Amino acid sequence: MTKEQRLKKRHSSEKRFRFYGLASIFVALLFVLILVNNIFSKGSSAFMKTAIDVEVFFDPELLELKNGANEEEILEADFYDVTIESLLKVYPANTLEEENALIDLFTTDAEIEIKKAFLEDNTLIGKKINLEISASDDIDQLHKGNYPRDLPEDRRRISNIQLKIYDNLIENKKIIKNFNNYFFTNGDSRDPELAGIGGALVGSFYSIIICLLLAFPVAVLASIYLEEFAPKNKITDFIEININNLAAVPSIVYGLLALQILLATIQLPRSTPLVAGITLALMTLPRIIIPCRASLKAVPPSIREGALAVGASKFQSVFHHVVPLALPGTLSGTIIGLAQALGETAPLILIGMVAFVVDIPSTPIDPSSSLPVQVYLWSESAERGFVEKTSATIMMLLSFLIVMNFVAVYLRQKFEKRWN
Amino acid sequence: MSDIKIKSKNLNVYYGDKQALFDVNLDLNEKEVTALIGPSGCGKSTFIRCINRMNDVIDICKVEGNIEIDGVEINDKELDVVSLRERVGMVFQKPNPFPKSIYDNISYGPKIHGKGETKSELDEIVENSLKKAALWEEVKDRLNEPGTGLSGGQQQRLCIARAISVNPEVILMDEPCSALDPIATAKIEELIDELKKTYTIVIVTHSMAQAVRVSQKTGFFHLGKLIEVGKTEKIFKNPDNKMTQDYITGRFG
Amino acid sequence: MNFVLIFLITIFSLSLFFYGRSKTKSISIQKNIKLNALPKFYGYYLVLWCSIPALVFLTVWSLFEPVIIKSIIIETAANQGAVFNDKNEANLIYEKIKAIHLGTYFGDIDSILKESAISYAKFLNLFTNSKIVLIFAIIIASVIYSLKKIKNNNKARDDVEVILKGLLFASSLIAILTTLGIIFSLLFESIKFFSVINIFDYLFGTNWSPQRAFVSDASAITAEEYAELKDAFGFIPLIAGTSFIAFIAMLVAVPIGLFSGIYMAEYASIKVRRVSKPIIEILAGIPTVVYGFFAALTVGPFFRQVGESLGLTVSSESALAAGLIMGIMIIPYISSLSDDVINSVPQSLRDGSYAIGATKSETIKQVVIPAALPGIIGSVLLAVSRAIGETMIVVMAAGLAANLTINPLESTTTITTQIVMILVGDQEFDSPKTQSAFALGLTLFIATLVLNYIAQRAVKKYREKYD
Repeated sequence: MTKEQRLKKRHSSEKRFRFYGLASIFVALLFVLILVNNIFSKGSSAFMKTAIDVEVFFDPELLELKNGANEEEILEADFYDVTIESLLKVYPANTLEEENALIDLFTTDAEIEIKKAFLEDNTLIGKKINLEISASDDIDQLHKGNYPRDLPEDRRRISNIQLKIYDNLIENKKIIKNFNNYFFTNGDSRDPELAGIGGALVGSFYSIIICLLLAFPVAVLASIYLEEFAPKNKITDFIEININNLAAVPSIVYGLLALQILLATIQLPRSTPLVAGITLALMTLPRIIIPCRASLKAVPPSIREGALAVGASKFQSVFHHVVPLALPGTLSGTIIGLAQALGETAPLILIGMVAFVVDIPSTPIDPSSSLPVQVYLWSESAERGFVEKTSATIMMLLSFLIVMNFVAVYLRQKFEKRWN
Repeated sequence: MSDIKIKSKNLNVYYGDKQALFDVNLDLNEKEVTALIGPSGCGKSTFIRCINRMNDVIDICKVEGNIEIDGVEINDKELDVVSLRERVGMVFQKPNPFPKSIYDNISYGPKIHGKGETKSELDEIVENSLKKAALWEEVKDRLNEPGTGLSGGQQQRLCIARAISVNPEVILMDEPCSALDPIATAKIEELIDELKKTYTIVIVTHSMAQAVRVSQKTGFFHLGKLIEVGKTEKIFKNPDNKMTQDYITGRFG
Repeated sequence: MNFVLIFLITIFSLSLFFYGRSKTKSISIQKNIKLNALPKFYGYYLVLWCSIPALVFLTVWSLFEPVIIKSIIIETAANQGAVFNDKNEANLIYEKIKAIHLGTYFGDIDSILKESAISYAKFLNLFTNSKIVLIFAIIIASVIYSLKKIKNNNKARDDVEVILKGLLFASSLIAILTTLGIIFSLLFESIKFFSVINIFDYLFGTNWSPQRAFVSDASAITAEEYAELKDAFGFIPLIAGTSFIAFIAMLVAVPIGLFSGIYMAEYASIKVRRVSKPIIEILAGIPTVVYGFFAALTVGPFFRQVGESLGLTVSSESALAAGLIMGIMIIPYISSLSDDVINSVPQSLRDGSYAIGATKSETIKQVVIPAALPGIIGSVLLAVSRAIGETMIVVMAAGLAANLTINPLESTTTITTQIVMILVGDQEFDSPKTQSAFALGLTLFIATLVLNYIAQRAVKKYREKYD
C-alpha cells in the first residue's frame, strides 16, 4: 500500500468512526421519540368520551319520587324504567333485537347518569331535559375510529343493527364527544368507558407522601451523621458499603422484604398506600443519601471553620451553616428519588396492589392501586378501550415525572453555589 | 551555514479573546538546536505547538499567519495534519507514556503510519529508537513491562524514543527536563547533543543554563512577542536588546 | 388510639419545653445562678427525654402487639377444641374471630368462636390498658430523671447534642437494618424451601414448573409428592432465560451506549452535548412499566407480524422483543458512565498520541479506550446487574414458559417474572411454591451483589489510576 492509499484509508476510517458515534446518538434519540409518539398517539383519545344526546322524561308514573325528594330517597329510588324508556326514544326500534341493540349502545351506567341529573335538580318530575349519556365502550372506540368496519359481522364487536343505528344517530347529529371527566374521577372498572385513574392517583399520592415523610428526614439525618460526625472506623465503612449496595438491589427484592416483614410479620393491611409508602421509603433512602452526602461534601471546610471560630459547637456549625448550603442539592436529589419511586411497580405488585379496587381510597389504610400498577393491570385487559386509557395514564405519569425532574434541575441550577 | 528548516512569518495566536502571540517572525535552522527562553506565560509553548499544529486540539485557539517547513505552508486547511505530525515530533513537559508496554509505546507510531509491517521490522524500529534515546541497555530485557513503571527520567527518554520511532525531521521539546532531577536532566541534555546530528530540535526551556549548554541559537520571548533572536553565545554575552539583558541577568522572570 | 397517644405525648412534651425554658430562666435570675447553657436548651432536654423513650416504646409495642395477640388467641381457640390443619385454616379462624368482634361477621357462630371472640376482646382491652399505663410510667420516670438533672444545672446543650447525635447514628443504622431485613426475609423462607427441596436439585435442575408442586400438608409431605417436587424447581431454565434476555439487551445497549458516550466525550460540541446528554438520560427515567407496555403492545406483535411475513414463527412474547426494549432502557447507563470515564482520561495521553500523528479515532481506539477500560467494564457490569434484576419489562413482554432455548424468536421466562407470577394470586403459606419465590429472590440478591461488587472494584481501580 502506498503512503497516499494508507493515508486515505486512515482518514475514511476516521470519518466512519465519527459517523458511528453520531448515528448512535441519533438512534438513542429516535427511540425516545418513537416511544413518546407511540404513547401520545394512542393515549390522547382517552381524554374525550363519546356520548349520545338523549331526551330524558322524568315520567311521574315510572318514578316513585316527588319533587323536592332528599338525597337518600333519590339514591334509593329505581330509575331503571325511566332510563329504558328514554333511551329507546333515541331511535325507532321495531323489533326486540333492535331494542336490545339500542340499549347496548349506551354505557352500563346510564341509569346512574340519569340519577345524577336528578340529584342536581330534584324538581324534574314531569319534565323533559336533554342529557348527554355516555356511550358504551364499543361505540366509544368505534366513534374514535379504532374499530375497522369492513370486517364480517361475526368478527366485529358491533353488530350490523348497531352499525345501522349508529349511522342514523350520526346523521341526526346525536353523537357528541365530551371531555372524559370519568378518567380522572372514577376508580377502576370492568367497563372501559367508565374506568378512571382517580383511585390510582390518590393511591400514588398517599404512597409518595408517606415515602417522603419517612425517607427524607431519616436520609438527611443519616447523611449528616456519616458526613460530619461519624468516626473513621470499621462500623462507618460497613454502613457506607451497605448504603451503596442497597442502591443497587433490584426493586423486586424490596417487594419480598415488604411481603415478609411488613405483611407477614407486622401484619399491616395489604394493598394499602401505607405499606407501599414504607416500602418505597426503604428503596428511596439510599437514593437520597447519596446526593445529600455529595452536597455536604461539596461545602468547603472554610464555612465550618468560620462557624467554629465564633464559638459555635460542631452541631451548630453543621446545622446552622453547612446543611442550609447543602439543601438545594439534597432537595434536588430527593425530588429525583421520589420521581423514581413514583414509577415503581414490581414491589407494589408483590404487596398486593393488583387487586381490583373500584373505590377511591379515602385514607392511606384503604386498599388502593397506584399509577404504574394501574398501567400494568390495564395492559393485561383485552378490550381496545383499555389501550387508550393505559396510554393516557402513562401520559399522566410521564407528565408528573417531567415536572418533578424540571423542578429538581431548576432548584439545583438556581440555588446551588459553585464552590470554585 | 545551516539551511532554514522552519520559518514563521507574522504569526498571531489567540485563545478566545486573549492574544497570546504577536507578529512572531522566527527562522529555525536545520540540524541545529534552537532554544526558546522567556518568563512563564510568554508564549514559547504556544509557539512550538503551532509548528506541529497541536493548537488545533484546543477549541478556542485561533492561529493566523504563516509557518513554512521546507518552504511548504503548514497553516493550510488542506494540509494533512496527520502526516505533518509524522515529520514533526513532540516531547512534553511531563512524561506521558501510554499505559502500555515499553515495546507497544514505541511500536504504536510506526504501526499506524505503516512503517513496520512484520514483527521483525517493528522489533528493529523499537531497538533503534530506544538505542538512539539512550534507553536500550536499561530496558532491553523488560520490553513487555508497562512504560509507566519506569522512573521519571527513563519515562522521558521513552517519550523521546517514541517521538523518534516514526523517523521525524524535527523534534519539538516543551521544557522536557522541568519534571526531572539533575542527573536525569544531564542524561537528556547529552542525548539532545547527539540527536542534533540527525534532527532539527527546538527546545523551550526555563533554565538559561540549559539553553547555554545545549543550543546553538536562542530566541527570547516576552509577553507574546519575540524580543530578540541570535546565536546563543551572543544572546547571553552581549544581547542587543535591553529587555533581553535584564532577563538574562535575572532582573525579572 | 395510637394517634391520640402520640398527640398527647406531643402536646405534653411541647408544654414541658416552655415550662423548662421559663423555669430555668426565672430560677437563674432569682437565685443568681449562672446557667451552664441557654434556657432553651433545658427546654429541649426535657422535650427529648419526655418524648423519645415513650414514642420508641409505643412504636415497638404497636408493631408486635397484633402478632402476639394473634398467637395467644389461636392457642386459646385450639385449647378450646378448635381444629385446624395448617396455618391457612388458623388464619381463617382468626379472621372470623376478629370480624365477630367488629360486628361484621354474618356466618354461623359456634360456641368455640363465641368464646374466642370474648377472649379476643378481653386481651385487646388488657393490652391497650397495659400500653397506656406503661407509657405513663415511662413518661413519669423520664420526666423525673430529666428534671433532676436540670435541677443540678447540667450542661444542657452538650447533653442535648449527645442525644441528637444518638438520633443521627440511629438514622444511619437504618441502612444496616434494611439490609438485615432483606437478608432475614429472604433467608427465612429460603431455608424452609431448602429443607424440602434439595439445593442441588434446585441449582442444577433443568425443569421449572411450580404449578405441579401441589402439597396437601406442608408439614408432612408424602413420598409421591416429594418425587413430583424434586423435578419441579430446577433453576437452570430461569438463569438461562434471564441471561439470554440480558445478553440480547447488552447487544443493543453496549454498542449504542459506548459509541454515544465516545461521541459525546470526544467529538460533540458543547451545544450538542448539552442537548443530547439529558435527552438520552430520559430513557433511564421512564418507568419500566411503560417500556413493558410498549414492548407488549407494539414491539412484540410487530416482530411477530414481520416474522410471519418472512415465514418464521415468532412468538408475540419473544425474547427478542423483551431484550431489545430492555437494551434501550439500559443505553443511558452505559453512555453516561462511559462519557464520564472517558472524560477523565488525562489530556496528556491524547496529546502524546496526536503528537505522533495519530488520527482522533486511532487515538480513541488505541489509547483512550484501553486507558478507560476498567471504568467502562464497570459500567457494563452495572448495566448487566440492572438487566437481570429488571422485572416489569419481562413480566409484560416475556413469557412464562421456562424452556431452555437459544432461539430469540421464542418466548422464555426469567427469574423476576417467576417471582411475580408465584406471589400474585392465591398464596398458600408454607407451601414450597411460595417459598421458592424467596429462594429465587435470594439467588437474585446474591448475583446482583456480586456483580455490583466487581463493578465497583473495577471503577475504583480505574479512579486510582487517574485521580
